[in-house]
Parts: sequence; structure tokens; C-alpha cells
Amino acid sequence: MSLTVAIQTLTREDERREEVPYGSPVYNSVVGFLIKEARFLDHRQFKQWGDILAEDLEYKAPVRITRRVQGFDDEFGTIGHFDDDYNSMMVRLTRLTTTSNAWSEDPASRTRRFVTNVSVWETENPDEYEVLNYLFLTRNRAESKDYKQLSAERYDRLRMTANGFQLARRSILVDQVVLGMPNFAIFL
Amino acid sequence: MKMEARDAYLKQAMSQFIDVENREVSVAALHDQQLYELELENIFAKAWLMIGHDSEIPNTGDYVVRLMGEDQVIVARAADGQVHVSLNVCPHRAMHVCLADSGNARVHKCIYHGWAFRPDGSFIGAPVEREQMHGNIKTKEQLGLKKARVQVYGGLIFATWNHDGPDLEEWLGDMKFYFDMLFDRTDKGLEVLGPPQRLTIDANWKTAGEQSACDGFHTLTLHGSVIDIGAMGGESDTEHESAPAMYGINLSGNGHSLRCIPADTSWSLAHGKGDLTPEQRLEAFPPPGITTELLPELKKNMSAEQLHVLAKAPPVVGGMFPNMNILFIYSPLRDGTLGAALVLHTIMPKGPHHFEWTTYYFAERGTPDHVKEMMRAAATHGTGTSGIIEQDDSDTWPHMTEAARGVIGRTETLKYQAILGENRPADWPDKAKVYEGFGKDDAQWEWWLAYHKLMTASA
Ligand code: FES
Ligand SMILES: [Fe+2]
Repeated sequence: MSLTVAIQTLTREDERREEVPYGSPVYNSVVGFLIKEARFLDHRQFKQWGDILAEDLEYKAPVRITRRVQGFDDEFGTIGHFDDDYNSMMVRLTRLTTTSNAWSEDPASRTRRFVTNVSVWETENPDEYEVLNYLFLTRNRAESKDYKQLSAERYDRLRMTANGFQLARRSILVDQVVLGMPNFAIFL
Repeated sequence: MKMEARDAYLKQAMSQFIDVENREVSVAALHDQQLYELELENIFAKAWLMIGHDSEIPNTGDYVVRLMGEDQVIVARAADGQVHVSLNVCPHRAMHVCLADSGNARVHKCIYHGWAFRPDGSFIGAPVEREQMHGNIKTKEQLGLKKARVQVYGGLIFATWNHDGPDLEEWLGDMKFYFDMLFDRTDKGLEVLGPPQRLTIDANWKTAGEQSACDGFHTLTLHGSVIDIGAMGGESDTEHESAPAMYGINLSGNGHSLRCIPADTSWSLAHGKGDLTPEQRLEAFPPPGITTELLPELKKNMSAEQLHVLAKAPPVVGGMFPNMNILFIYSPLRDGTLGAALVLHTIMPKGPHHFEWTTYYFAERGTPDHVKEMMRAAATHGTGTSGIIEQDDSDTWPHMTEAARGVIGRTETLKYQAILGENRPADWPDKAKVYEGFGKDDAQWEWWLAYHKLMTASA
């Protein structure tokens, strides 16, 4: 069996192209995109979020495995917490936006996505960039006084279009092996 | 707790928590710490527990670390080619021997003082052999890791600490006849599609445990949203159509259960095909996970009786007592074809108010890789962490558990009073308890009876 591992969405470090300098116009527009995306999701603007997804989207979150340090490169499994493409993502969004009984998010979670440590690289395609960024997410629901928290690294591929950037690929590398939240009824 | 005190407590607790006559269970059973400790002893140290699959550890030395109740065990393939399950606790001074959750090791060496063990759990020795650092009171044979009893069935690895109890075949009883149709039906068998998803749910393990025993009823409301979007898309053949199909045949035995749903009540493609011969129906709708190419193998490996069941109403969801949930369901794949999602969950307790939910995805080994990838995506989309069906389940269990914290809340009961009664159709095999019709509480109540029986087995 040779199923693909979802982590392979970012070029290997030694094969990466030019890094886009911090503070340059391209860098700033990438950061602006990530901030806007977090805002859409935190405010449940799913229609707007759907609009910035590319139609060849790959959206994955491989499970993490605890390895000895010698096996550190081998830390992700072929199964994911997400294993989506554009169509399956649209089904998720349809469920959330058109039904009145999507109970896992009704009442909805209060989420905050803090996106930092953004690195941007050019790619073989002049319109596309590889973006590595950190995500810290807090999730609160109902009258719980505690937050479910999650930290992750995201390996993104952004594509510049006539309407601005679109998300073409995302691989979310969650830091937990055993998740502390009961589901991913939210997007990362 | 002293043996007599424990037995006395259990007798009293079981009659207090479970009202057999009225088919009610006290909500307090989802909260009680003392009861929980006894569940670890009487259920999780006694039952056969599914803790992994053969295909996760194909080579000598391969291992995964898994839970049996709150105990960590090393599941390893030893030099003899067999799977061994050993407690991940060093007999020297209780350090965990394995620190990774999977890998390959010919020797498991405890990092504390260096005692070393083989994948079969046997003790190799302590460093500085001539000083005999394991002392001379116990022999090397006595100093191996504690071993669980192991049986592999359909590639699934089962283990138990009950060395003198029933073997797996007896434990599964009549239900094995039906489980064979899911786990032991092709020449090469199933394989995992990767290491499992793991997450924590803030709920008592029994909330998910009892639901796995054929709670078909909740799909109508709790999973209403997936039914709705299936209808909205104008497609009747969505994966969710199989969930609300309420008419079928529920099976129960020894607390295990399966729900068999005829293809023609849930798939528009099958509508009006009631006049097909069983043979033709099987061709038209092979059971979930069986491709057309695998049909000849299925026919070879199954008995005529089993093929009849598969043609009439294949088992698609259910559970194995006490803590495994099965979903072998039809599901549309990315390429528009009708495929399947083959999913197993285990529910491992982490105190009375938490459990670890582990999700394994499978395919028949004889499935082409590109189909396996589509099955994996379909399974991930519907079930497990982000599954649009199961994310709603993980929402209810914590509420039930929280309800049990209130002193008044815990005086409420869980009720299993919608009874269909045994009513086996004439053409159905005389195996296990059979309930045909609108799925009711029968099989779930049987789950509680199995729980009651095991809890009081020593009392
Ligand atoms: S605790 Fe393992 S060698 Fe001492
Ligand atoms: Fe459910």
C-alpha cells in the first residue's frame, strides 16, 4: 500500500525557491489574506470563506504520531483529521449554512484564530506562493469557563487570481497526538 | 477495596443503577467514581478488547502502544511472527518501557535503569550482567512484562487480562457468524489505511458504548442536518441515506450488535429491485467495501446462509461489547461512484468523565490504491474527528455526563422501553437475537444486560 502522506504539500527545505522578504508587498498581502481568512472563520462568514477556496483545493490534517527523535521525520500518518477537496468542503459549508440542525456547532463555538510566524516562498509558478504559518486557536462553547486550545503549523499554497489570493492547498500539522477537543466541527 | 466489601457494593450498586424490570439505567452510573474503578476491573480487565490490526505491525519488531482501559500495552510482532501484548510497565520500578506510540524495536530497553525486554515481553536482562542487577530472588522468567492473552480475528487484534475466561469465539458467540461478513470475508482480508485518529471527549465511556449498540433512532434528529443536505442536493444516494433507513434487522448477542439495512430501502438505485433473486441483488449491490472484483472471493468465503443475509440486508453498523463501534457503510466516493467507508472506533475510559475515542479506517487489501484513497477521504468526511455525521455524536455525550453531576440530574434514568421484541423472519438464520422492523431499543438494552452480567460476574 502506498497512500500519500498529507504533509507533502510543502517543498522540501533544500529545494525551496527564494524566500519572500519580510515586509515586502507580496509578504504583506499574504499576511493580509491570512488575517482576513481568520476573520471570516471567527465570524462564521462561511460563504466568504468558501469564495477564497480554489476549486482544486486539497485540505488535510494528518494525524500526528509520537516517535523517538530518530524518527522525527516520520511523525505523520496517512490518515488525517481532515481529508478534503473542494467539493467535500462545499458539503461541509452547505451543512453549516443551509440547515438549522447542525448540532455540533449550534450553539456555535466562539473561536479566535491567532496567525503568526509567517514565512513565504516563491514557487515554480509565478502566481503561487508557499506559506508556512503558525495557528493558535481558542474555542469556547456554551457556558464553559474553559477554552479548548489548539496550536498547529499550517503549510499553505496560495494562488494569486484576478480576485486576490485563493487557498489552493493546506496541510495542518496539529501539535497534539490526542486531540483535546471532541471534534473538528470548525475549520483550521 | 476488600473482596467482600467490593462484592457487597456491586450487588447494591447494580440494583441501584439498573432497573432490569423497567429497563432503566440511573444517570448516576455516568458519574460514580467507585463504580468507575470497578468497571476498570470487571469490564476493562475482563473483556476481550480490540486494540489494533495486524496490518499495523507487519514486520518482526513492529509495535504500537495502545490502551486497555487505563493501562498502556505494547502490541508487538515478535520473532515467532506472532502478535504479543505486554503491559507497558517496567517490572523493575514501573517506568513506561515504550515511550513512542509506534515504531520498530528488536529490544525494548527501559530508559530508567536499562532492563531490557523482547517484543514478546520476555526479560533479556539488566545492564552489568555479572552484578545480576535483577537480584536473585526472582528468576529471569518471572521478570518479563505482564502478558495479556491475545487472539487475532480477521486481522483485528483482541486482548484480555482474563486468562481463564472464555476464548474470543465463545465471547462473540452467535454474533461471530455475522461479524465474519465484515471482518473475515476475503482472501487477503482488511488493512488499516494508516494510524488511527485519537481524541478526548469529556464524557463517560458508557454514553458512547451504549449508543454503539444500534441506536438507530438518533439519526433522525441528531443527524438531521446530513439528511437535509442530502435531500437538498437532489441526490438520494448520499452516504447519509443509509443512516436514517430505520427499517431493517437488528441483531444482538452477548452485548454485541449489528444493524442490517436492506439496500432497497436506502438506495434509490435499488428501488423496485425487490424481485431480483438474492444472487442478482448481491451482484447489483455488493456489501460495503466489496468491489465487483472481490465478489467471487466473498462468495467463496461465505456460506450460503451468510450470502443470503448479505443479499437481503447486509450488516452496516453496530458494536462489539463493551467498547467498539462499527460503521461499514455505503458512501459515495469522489469520482461519483458508490463506494464505502469502513470505520471502527474504540472507546477507552479516562476517568468517569472522559474517554479517548480512537478511529481506524480500513479497506479490503485487494482494493486498488486510488480507491483506498477515496474510501479514506469518504470515511474522514463522514466519521471521526471532522466527520459531518459523527461530530454531532461527540456533542451529546458530554451533555449527558454533565447532567449526571447534578444531584437531581443523576436521579433521572436512561430509558430503553421502546421494545420491538424478537421476531426472526422465516428466511433469516437462527443465529443471535433478531429484531426485524423499525429499529428500537432492544439491542441497546441487551448491551446493558451484558454490562450488568460482567459487572456482577464475581459478585
Ligand atoms: S524502572 Fe525500568 S529499569 Fe528500572
Ligand atoms: Fe450517531
